Amino acid sequence: MTASLSKGINAFKEVIDAPIASFFSSCVHCGLCAEACLFYTETGEAKYTPIHKLEPLRRVWQQEYTLLGSLGKLLSLSKPVTDEELTEWEPLVYDSCTLCGCCSMVCPVGNDLTYMIRKMREGMAASGHAPEDLIAATTRAITIGSPMGIKWPAVQAQIKHVQADTGIEVPVEREGADYLVLMSSMEIINFPEYLSALSRIFKQAGVSWTLASDAFEATNSGIQIGSSDLAREIVSRIVVAAERLKVKCVISPECGHAFTALRWEGPNLMGRPFGFEVKHILEVLDELRAAGKLKTRGKDNRPLTYHDPCQIARRGGVVEQPRRLLSEIAADFREMPDAGVMNWCCGGGGGVSAITRAEPLRLQVFKIKKGQIEATGVQTLVTACANCRIVIEEALEHYHMKIEVVGLTELLAQYLVEENASPIPSPVSGRG
Amino acid sequence: MKQAEQLDNLPGTVGEGLTQRGISRREFLKFCSSLTALLALPPSMASAMAEAISKARRQSVIWLSFQECTGCTESITRSHSPTLENLIFDLISLDYHHTLQAASAEAAEHAREQAMKDNAGKYLLIVDGSVPLGNPGFSTIAGISNHDMLVETAKGAAAIVAVGTCAAYGGIPKAGPNPTGAVAVGDIIKDKPIINVPGCPPIPVVMTGVLVHFLTFGSIPELDELGRPKSFYGETIHDRCYRRPFYDQGKFAQSFDDEAARQGWCLFKLGCKGPVTYNACATTKWNDGTSFPIQSGHGCIGCSEPNFWDAGPLYKALSVPASATSEMLGAAAAVGAAAGVAITWHNRSTKAAANTAHEKVTVQELTQEKK
Repeated sequence: MTASLSKGINAFKEVIDAPIASFFSSCVHCGLCAEACLFYTETGEAKYTPIHKLEPLRRVWQQEYTLLGSLGKLLSLSKPVTDEELTEWEPLVYDSCTLCGCCSMVCPVGNDLTYMIRKMREGMAASGHAPEDLIAATTRAITIGSPMGIKWPAVQAQIKHVQADTGIEVPVEREGADYLVLMSSMEIINFPEYLSALSRIFKQAGVSWTLASDAFEATNSGIQIGSSDLAREIVSRIVVAAERLKVKCVISPECGHAFTALRWEGPNLMGRPFGFEVKHILEVLDELRAAGKLKTRGKDNRPLTYHDPCQIARRGGVVEQPRRLLSEIAADFREMPDAGVMNWCCGGGGGVSAITRAEPLRLQVFKIKKGQIEATGVQTLVTACANCRIVIEEALEHYHMKIEVVGLTELLAQYLVEENASPIPSPVSGRG
Repeated sequence: MKQAEQLDNLPGTVGEGLTQRGISRREFLKFCSSLTALLALPPSMASAMAEAISKARRQSVIWLSFQECTGCTESITRSHSPTLENLIFDLISLDYHHTLQAASAEAAEHAREQAMKDNAGKYLLIVDGSVPLGNPGFSTIAGISNHDMLVETAKGAAAIVAVGTCAAYGGIPKAGPNPTGAVAVGDIIKDKPIINVPGCPPIPVVMTGVLVHFLTFGSIPELDELGRPKSFYGETIHDRCYRRPFYDQGKFAQSFDDEAARQGWCLFKLGCKGPVTYNACATTKWNDGTSFPIQSGHGCIGCSEPNFWDAGPLYKALSVPASATSEMLGAAAAVGAAAGVAITWHNRSTKAAANTAHEKVTVQELTQEKK
């Protein structure tokens, strides 16, 4: 068995639903989506216009689902989608789209272009036109359990470190806990501060939580490559574990697409509602703050700004929570221009950061973020997505910018009021 | 002033005629300025126009009336007499007009033939009324069918002015079922410039403006795609209506005697055709600027538009389908629904087939086999 063009075309036919049909028929060709795409604004190349990235899918819609289009197909007036064309479109659909959702926001007729790109990737993956790096990552996610090839023993090792550092027990496989905590591979390998910070915050707040040995990975390569079959398999691990442990809520970590995969796509992939809630860690922390369970002391005097991860702010609606949390501890908080739901993407979401050949392009389009950061004049940037964080750190290094990037959870933990005062770890910067 | 007197005193000119009638230079210039504005010409053209009109010889005009009601003549000759507009009309050489001329029978026809001969290629032909093609006997003058008289008289004309909706577009005689086979002037004459001045009847000053333009520049004003002078027919009644703010606020009269109607709210729902009617009524108004239909509390009936009589009930809002009968609408709905069902069925089966053909994607199947 192998990927093939016919499988891809079949997948295109499968994904074209009422929304996609109405989006294509209501497009007025105004080109406003181009101005919303950082790949267009930073390169000026017309091929990066979001609606253009959907051209093969649009033609399949026209040929299969419209009267004139099917007549044109019969009379060979409209050319069929070929392997060559999909090869040409592969960099447009994967390398130059972070699924950031900006184009969907500006479309005057309300077309959700991001939704369409996500759906189009189904056909790209089924026809063998996904980038090899994403195929490799997805293969690791399915066969090993994590796109970066991390297994449970690596998590166990980190748990030991955290327990040694904080003196707090990290609960594992605790049935009946309120929260199931997930992590992203990036956090396990690069940002171990996250688990340590979470343990301390939850200890102080008296939260009952647990990790699951068979469902610690929150990321979902199936979503990024665009294969519902694979995404379903990955998300079902979490659903099975959460239901086995009878938790009330699953916490999506500081990772953008993991939140989208679990919160929005998850129940649709499973074909049923979950028996538990899904919340982003910032939502949980803000609830704790509102309930008076998240006590902090002191203020960070450094000028700080906050980068809204696309999937969390624009696509996820978590916009006010990080600002309320930051107002507790930041003495000099500065908003970037366009902050909030219209924030510019880091340039590496939606799987782009995993595609090696896309790196020069990614660095080029980072210029828009660079300008945003420079406008604030800060030396410290806070965010809530490990992928944004690594993409931004790499780009800052490339542009020789001396700016520290920190996760919001770990920053909060630095100002935590702890009853059993254990030694507070010094702020960790860069990659662990 | 000297120059003006000179101009005015040239014998046999319009200027001389005006002086004889006691029209002062000042009054005349005022008239020219207002016409300049109405014709959308630059203000500097007013004096040029005054000079041209003063110097102009009395223009020979032949007026033919076919299938009409004489309303157009009434409008132009009697509407706000005695004003400058009328005087200008008196000062053209109206060589033939069977309602107004004193002569009758052969003498009358002789006057027309004489004018055609004396001013060959120079006279202006004004036509009101439509021309019946169904049977030449439906409308004749001195035994000559309207069609033949039009063709004969048009030959030597410098230009033709089709006055009124009947001459311009066929008008009421052409309304379904069009028993006489009525057509517009432009349907018969193809080789002469034709200026359509539609309206039932048209506004007098529009007539005057067209004439003055012709006298001043020796050419016809800029026309739209329906042959109407753009300066008068460039905007809809609706766009220039003083009740427009009510429309924009969604304030409509629901009947002719409700409180909203008394408050002067928009008459759209009572069938006003202002939004689709191009004419100058709302700006120039009628009867020496006194009023126009909407100001008098009645919606516009769109009388200056082609086929206005068949464009649906006068008292139904434009948003209500005009021509379709309920059977037609029912049939159209049924056909539409059937087509919708068929297309939906086809698309659903395409999609169902695609779903059936779905082979579960595994990580081993993410690449194509190398051929």
